[in-house]
Amino acid sequence: MKQFFTIFKFELKSYLKNKVFMGVTIFLIAVLAVVILLLPTIISLVKPDTSTAQSGVMGVCYADESLSETVTPALQNALTEYKIVVDDGDRKEIKDKVLSGEYDCAIYLTDLLTYDYYVNDLSLYDQNTMIIDAVLTKIYQLNAMVSGGISPGEAGDIMSATPNANVVTLGKDHSKNFMYTFIMIFALYMVILLYGQLVATNVANEKSSRAMEVLVTSAKPTNMMFGKVFASCTAGLIQLLSIFLSAIIFYNLNKSAWGDNQLIQSFFNIPIDLLGYMVLYFLLGFLIYAFMYGAVGSTANKLEDINTSVMPITFLFIICFFITMFSMQGDQIDSLLMKIASYVPFTSPMAMFTRIAMSNVMWYEILISVLILVGTVVGIGYLSAKIYRVGVLLYGTKIKMTKVLKMIFKKDNN
Amino acid sequence: MILQVENLCKSFTQKKVLNGISFCANSGKALGLLGRNGAGKTTTIRILMNVLPKDDGKILIDGKPIDYKSITFGYLPEERGLYPKKTVKEQLIYFAELKGVDKKEAEKSLDYWLKRLDAFEYKDKRLDTLSKGNQQKIQLITAIIHNPQIVILDEPFSGLDPVNAMLFKDVVKEQINMGKIVLFSSHQMNYIEEFCDDIVILNGGKNVLSGNLAQIKHSYRRDKLVVSSGEVNKILQAYENATQISSSEVMIKLKDEADKKAIMVKLSNEFDIDQIKVYEPSLNDIFVEFA
Repeated sequence: MKQFFTIFKFELKSYLKNKVFMGVTIFLIAVLAVVILLLPTIISLVKPDTSTAQSGVMGVCYADESLSETVTPALQNALTEYKIVVDDGDRKEIKDKVLSGEYDCAIYLTDLLTYDYYVNDLSLYDQNTMIIDAVLTKIYQLNAMVSGGISPGEAGDIMSATPNANVVTLGKDHSKNFMYTFIMIFALYMVILLYGQLVATNVANEKSSRAMEVLVTSAKPTNMMFGKVFASCTAGLIQLLSIFLSAIIFYNLNKSAWGDNQLIQSFFNIPIDLLGYMVLYFLLGFLIYAFMYGAVGSTANKLEDINTSVMPITFLFIICFFITMFSMQGDQIDSLLMKIASYVPFTSPMAMFTRIAMSNVMWYEILISVLILVGTVVGIGYLSAKIYRVGVLLYGTKIKMTKVLKMIFKKDNN
Repeated sequence: MILQVENLCKSFTQKKVLNGISFCANSGKALGLLGRNGAGKTTTIRILMNVLPKDDGKILIDGKPIDYKSITFGYLPEERGLYPKKTVKEQLIYFAELKGVDKKEAEKSLDYWLKRLDAFEYKDKRLDTLSKGNQQKIQLITAIIHNPQIVILDEPFSGLDPVNAMLFKDVVKEQINMGKIVLFSSHQMNYIEEFCDDIVILNGGKNVLSGNLAQIKHSYRRDKLVVSSGEVNKILQAYENATQISSSEVMIKLKDEADKKAIMVKLSNEFDIDQIKVYEPSLNDIFVEFA
């Protein structure tokens, strides 16, 4: 145990002293500080006041000029970003004015239910026709009611009546927890991938520098493997937590500036128990992958071999990530695929975490998935230590994993 | 303390690497482990240090199976290598701690060895900034910083200048005199002859020769005389079974070992002789013959 802590301390110190590690952490915290502390101010400076600003001009031409009295003010109310200009010309004239740029867009109103909308390039986000449709429909319906004998005041009340809907969420509100689940899954993905590769590089480095020759005679392979993996896990956790905590601190410092931004609020209102689950699944998921990365690193002859050797593990991990991401985006959290994935140890850190965050999972389901994960972590840990013991001493020809496994099991039979 | 290795066998997948290696090493003495490349020396060393499991055979300390918890090893591998980006101090303390030495003791021992090997000024330098000779000193310290009972040195003198070689020799002699078991593997036969009382020669995973070096040399037939003289040509003419081995030396092969004394007297009477001795094979000759 003492040896494990010696290795753990040595490896963790190496991470914390590493300039890239420190640089990336400080950079990310600085980016967060700028975004969270300064972004609202920058946005409010850059964004014009929408209540009064009119960024464009819309020409309106009436075939029946009597419509102008009711339609023009209604359009001006609905399309606040446009200055509505009543044009006395004909179709051709307003078309020319749109082409020349005098109007950003224009409409030719034949009657309340027929109009042409003229615009130079139709933007993907152009919603003007929808707004105009709504305005015209409302005026048409009001007119119809008034001519049917209902007073204008009553007609207005009828038109503006809306049902009083009260949404009671018995499960979880996806609109609120989607954001933080997404960010957490993404953080999990990045950290496991980056630190896993670091473990592999670290082992291969020791092997190629031949420091391994002395190391294997000084320490037990299980201590070496567990010491290294736990150290990188701790380093990853330290980085992750310092980034998350500084984000929370920055947000609280600048809470008022963010006002009632739903997206940001939903992210910073993560339930505490979910943070706990995140740390738990991060640890277990990280350990499984880091052990595999470490074992593969030990079979590499040169540092350059690492990239190709770790590819199968990286692919496996990316597939798991995409299963979770697509399920989240397609709102298929409780699909059969996700249910299976939340028990398979390679996918469960992401899949089960997502289900806990966005759906209702029974306590025993979580327990089963955690137990399977813990068992697999221990199993893979010991297997990887054995692969490591054999792998680190094999030099020369390209080492096949099957050969290493054969050697391990042959040894175990003795 | 006596280290006994008996009938050690090991094979990797299909290939048999060790096929019954046996030898014996005593504390206070150095054992030379010899053999050509691929003879099985490194595998033997790794099994001895419990890095690789053995297929068969015994490793005994004072007649009892070795207990790796109580026996400490120090190892200087042939393939040198430590952490190039770490400071000398950092890695030496780390290796000592891995071997169970506590930090304070490791620091004391580190200072002693760095001073002893004339490398104290590099204590806080990164390893990759040191010269090859100095890196080798650091590597030697990793092998002995924890005061091990068994020291295994694989080619300890390769690549050293004469001054550093002297420093290393003193340390090795000191380790032997401290009563440790020293296993010494090298292709530089002069060093083996200088340090080792006993040798074992491996060939194809078997030991083909083992025992006390002086006795091995003595066991060869004593039927050749090496004569140093200024009259080499005259001796060559007088003895048809004489061959010149250098400008001032000839070797005379005797028909019968019993004639040795008579021929020595005869030679000294007839020629101007500087020295006559019975020929003993060098370790190099023995190695070439067996390995």
